[in-house]
Amino acid sequence: MMVRRALIYLAAIVTGCALGLGSALYMAGLWPEGRNMAFGNVDVGGWRSDFAVGSKAADPYTRARVARHGLLALAKSEAVYLTRATDETGARLREACTYRLSGGAMPAEWWSVTLYDGKSMLPANTDGALSVNAQGFPNGAWQAVIAPTRPANGGAWISSKGAGDFDLTLRLYIPNPALLASPNTALTPPRIERLSCGGAA
Amino acid sequence: MKRWIGPLAVLLLVAAGVHALTLHRAPAVIMDRALDALAKRGVALHAFTTPQRVTPQTQQVVRSSPDLYYALCRYDLSAPGSQLDVTMGGWPGYQSLAFFDAQTDNFATLRGTGREVTVRLLPPGSAAQKGAIVSPSTKGVILIRRLAPDAARFDAAVEAGRADTCRLERART
Repeated sequence: MMVRRALIYLAAIVTGCALGLGSALYMAGLWPEGRNMAFGNVDVGGWRSDFAVGSKAADPYTRARVARHGLLALAKSEAVYLTRATDETGARLREACTYRLSGGAMPAEWWSVTLYDGKSMLPANTDGALSVNAQGFPNGAWQAVIAPTRPANGGAWISSKGAGDFDLTLRLYIPNPALLASPNTALTPPRIERLSCGGAA
Repeated sequence: MKRWIGPLAVLLLVAAGVHALTLHRAPAVIMDRALDALAKRGVALHAFTTPQRVTPQTQQVVRSSPDLYYALCRYDLSAPGSQLDVTMGGWPGYQSLAFFDAQTDNFATLRGTGREVTVRLLPPGSAAQKGAIVSPSTKGVILIRRLAPDAARFDAAVEAGRADTCRLERART
């Protein structure tokens, strides 16, 4: 009887460990693989961020997720990172589709948009088309095509070759104070329009 | 039914404890692994390592930007009386000197657009000093970012990086 009772308690401890570990890893976005950085308490047109990134003020779930997916990120006074994993219809961004990314002037001294795969790494291709940034668009309005092959018109391009399901990170360096105070007012977020998928319009 | 209350309570308590412990320990474990990985990839202890331009083939850290020059220096201030003298050389565009502790917190960032920046990094518990930053942990990593969105700017950033230093010294008495 005593042995049976001890085994029941042992099973409870083992199950509790598994539940605690699994729930923590899941809620912090550390498990399973492939979950991304499109989370946080700031949501500007589907572009998500947590302005506590890089600071002790972040909650433990944010801290754990950033440690995994945004290690060595700067605090918001220096740079703000916004991530989006879906297009304007809410569908997951996929390598098989072609998208038009467009925007205007950004409320920061410098900006870039970079594509990352499901493991938060640059996609394994040699296209040399990993991002677009402020340097290429000095007149404010800008647009680029996101596709696995270079667009025929020779315009700005971000290659999604080898990315699988991916997300985009908008970096805003030296953000305007207005952005930090009221991101939804200060930032007109870039649009992500899906143009076609797998050859179909 | 009563006999299951005890095991159920144990299960819930253990689950809550392991949940909290996992969250608390995750940043430190991830940073520890990252520091080990950086060491294996040649990032020096107490010296800025001249970087390669970030590409899918050379990336060392998650979510690196291909538009930036990144120079890393790992540090360890566990030896008594040790401190770090850090210099970020001049660069005409945007650059920053960022300090990360063993919990992944960005505990200090100094912007240095158009100028050189020099600072001392002191071990945890040190008294505040002018021109110095106290690290919350004995180990961590220092990261210089320079805006270098094309190959020519990156090559220029490498030249500017020759003036960067990250040197372990004994505290002056």
